[in-house]
Amino acid sequence: MTEKLIEKLNAKVPSALKDHSEFRGDTTLFINAEHVRDVASFLKDDEDTQYDLLVDIYGTDRLKLGQSSPRFAVNYELYSISKNKFVRLIVDLVDPARNGNGGSGKFGEPLPKVASVTDIWPTANWLERETYDLMGIEFENHPWLQRIMMPDNWVGHPLRKDYPLGGEPVYFEKDRNNPRFAHLGKQIMAGPSFETELPEEMDTDGHMVLNLGPHHPATHGVLRLATELDGEKVVRVTPELGYLHSGFEKTGENKRYEKFIPYCDRMDYVSPMNNNLAYVMAVEKLMDVEIPEHVQYVRVILCELQRIASHMIWLGTHAMDVGGTPHAAPLYCFMMRERILDIFEMVCGARMTTSYFSVGGLRWPLPGAFMDAVRAFLKEFSGYYHDYHVMLTKNPLWLSRLKGIGILKAEEAIALGITGPLLRAAGVPLDLRKVRPYCVYDQLDFEVPTSTEADSYARYTVRMEELQQSMRIIEQAMNQIKPGPYRTADRKVALPPRHEISTSMESLIHHFKLVTEGYRPPEGQVYFIGENPKGWLGFGLISDGTANPYRLRVRGPSFVNLQATNTMARGGFISDLITIIGSIDIVLGEVDR
Amino acid sequence: MGVAVGAPQGGALGGTQAHAKDGSAGFALAKLEELVNWGRANSVWPLTFGLACCAIEQISAAASRFDIARFGSEVFRASPRQADLLIVSGRVSNKMAPVIKRIYDQMSDPKWVVAMGDCASCGGPFNNYAIIQGVDKMLPVDVYVPGCPPRPEALFYALEKLREKIKAEEKLGVRE
Ligand code: SF4
Repeated sequence: MTEKLIEKLNAKVPSALKDHSEFRGDTTLFINAEHVRDVASFLKDDEDTQYDLLVDIYGTDRLKLGQSSPRFAVNYELYSISKNKFVRLIVDLVDPARNGNGGSGKFGEPLPKVASVTDIWPTANWLERETYDLMGIEFENHPWLQRIMMPDNWVGHPLRKDYPLGGEPVYFEKDRNNPRFAHLGKQIMAGPSFETELPEEMDTDGHMVLNLGPHHPATHGVLRLATELDGEKVVRVTPELGYLHSGFEKTGENKRYEKFIPYCDRMDYVSPMNNNLAYVMAVEKLMDVEIPEHVQYVRVILCELQRIASHMIWLGTHAMDVGGTPHAAPLYCFMMRERILDIFEMVCGARMTTSYFSVGGLRWPLPGAFMDAVRAFLKEFSGYYHDYHVMLTKNPLWLSRLKGIGILKAEEAIALGITGPLLRAAGVPLDLRKVRPYCVYDQLDFEVPTSTEADSYARYTVRMEELQQSMRIIEQAMNQIKPGPYRTADRKVALPPRHEISTSMESLIHHFKLVTEGYRPPEGQVYFIGENPKGWLGFGLISDGTANPYRLRVRGPSFVNLQATNTMARGGFISDLITIIGSIDIVLGEVDR
Repeated sequence: MGVAVGAPQGGALGGTQAHAKDGSAGFALAKLEELVNWGRANSVWPLTFGLACCAIEQISAAASRFDIARFGSEVFRASPRQADLLIVSGRVSNKMAPVIKRIYDQMSDPKWVVAMGDCASCGGPFNNYAIIQGVDKMLPVDVYVPGCPPRPEALFYALEKLREKIKAEEKLGVRE
């Protein structure tokens, strides 16, 4: 496949391809910067490739890699739905500041440039803005290249390697008389307001611009929607993000691989198990670790429980926003979520921030009462599941507020890089658990629910059906699971069991090394995607052979899906905007990362 | 100093009762300060405001299992003008800081702030360029709740602490 692709690419766009590589099943093509648009069009349109889904764009700063290659590069992760294939493009950029003053990314300094691909894959719009904001790479001919995460008046590009992590020093003792600590606990910030820019094409004179958020109960967090209105009709919606930007990627690059796992919980904080899974599987892919079957089953069970819990939050808050059943639905939904949280608490001690999966297995074995608890939950949940249907499915209010609202057709969705239930509600049966099964999903029998209506109600029915399928998966997994080790026997990643440490010198050394230094994956670059409740959660890792990831990239499904708001809300009523935001199912922690 | 609140009959605060003819006082005396504090402490209305993961635990606290109504705080208000309590439930980014400051300024006095979780208290796990290391750098915080996220019970404990604080307030809580 790769040979054919390369042959054809060389014929179509000569001298574009510099090199190519294979690592852990990922194909990477290195492209010359001036040909990036030709290659992109070719990959998207050629009938043998059809890379129609742009999964991710992220920049790399090679400053500390000690390579002779240019400092900046842009990575494009592509997926072909019809061919079920991934490919990565890496484009080296010419660095304008190379001979200048070091390129610290201050305003006015020339930035490295590359052509924008927004007209080929519209989803590139926000991804390129993010890369510009955080990495300082300019995308030529981008429709509106503005900061997206950081405030407009911010100086510098945080993900660059010469930009410090920031924060405050942490003192482990506090001497009250030491003037060094005088600032602690003082109110030192004025918190000045600043203007944020609106897109130029917004008609602020002829139309009314209404700000929804960042403090608004129906935006599910701190999201601001600048909405241009003509009467009650929505002309244009411009989401403004970054109010919860927490620097996950930069933090991850300053931690050991294992230590980023607790951070994953805090990204999409209503589905921490799924986040953990995607991250540990990315590291496992990088290190090529074999995982025992028992662990795979446990992971599947917990992730599907988490999917139910996540959908419960979506259903509860969505029903509350839309107002079909003012307060009953959220209370019913949260009740069932509490049951799942109880199971999680039993498993790992925490309700929400679980961090239960570790690279190479689980953090500790399952408690004995786990199976019974899950069985009891399934039994109880199927009763409640029926109640949700009774409450909502034929509720006239619910129907009139969801049917035909926020239509997102399959072609539009694919162009915008939408994944998860949103895409499936548009009729595309794309579910990674099915098309590229990981863990033991290939040994479990389940369906991928789809709908052709592509409206908010279709998203509701798809998610409701997914709840049913998750129950099916859990039941089967519970029947098939066999006892076994809870982590791999590979001592390079997993700690040896306690009793071995006191009897075997080798185990003691492994233990010491792992705890004090962590593991060192081989040099390379991988990208792993997990099918999260909200869509594809992608983790990109670039390793330079040390114990910290050199580059850690997170592709949040909510971030990409949120970009469809404008497409869905245009031409509708302002009140439908609330339905639409609810039906996308976003979590701001993951949008802003 | 203050007279015990609660009349012998019916326990009503103040006021006489028409049917009371046994000679005992049909009213109770209290310092105005205490009365006001008593009223305020038992109806702390929080702002509907969530930032990050801790906000989900805040919602759980309001849902049926934990039921914040037991503490008189179930009336979440969406407008800062009607709220007494700002629960800063999550990490405060540089971009969000001015917004929170403005929301706080819009709340009418008397007002209180609970920093829920490690992030709001001190930056938590996010010691980096994006996050402000504790919301107390911009707002006066009354109660800090440790935890990442704190359980709903911990939030209730904070609420109890806040009520103790309100009940002990002097000069009707007017701040210079
Ligand atoms: S304290 Fe922990 S749970 Fe709360 S917002 Fe911060 S990271 Fe999230």
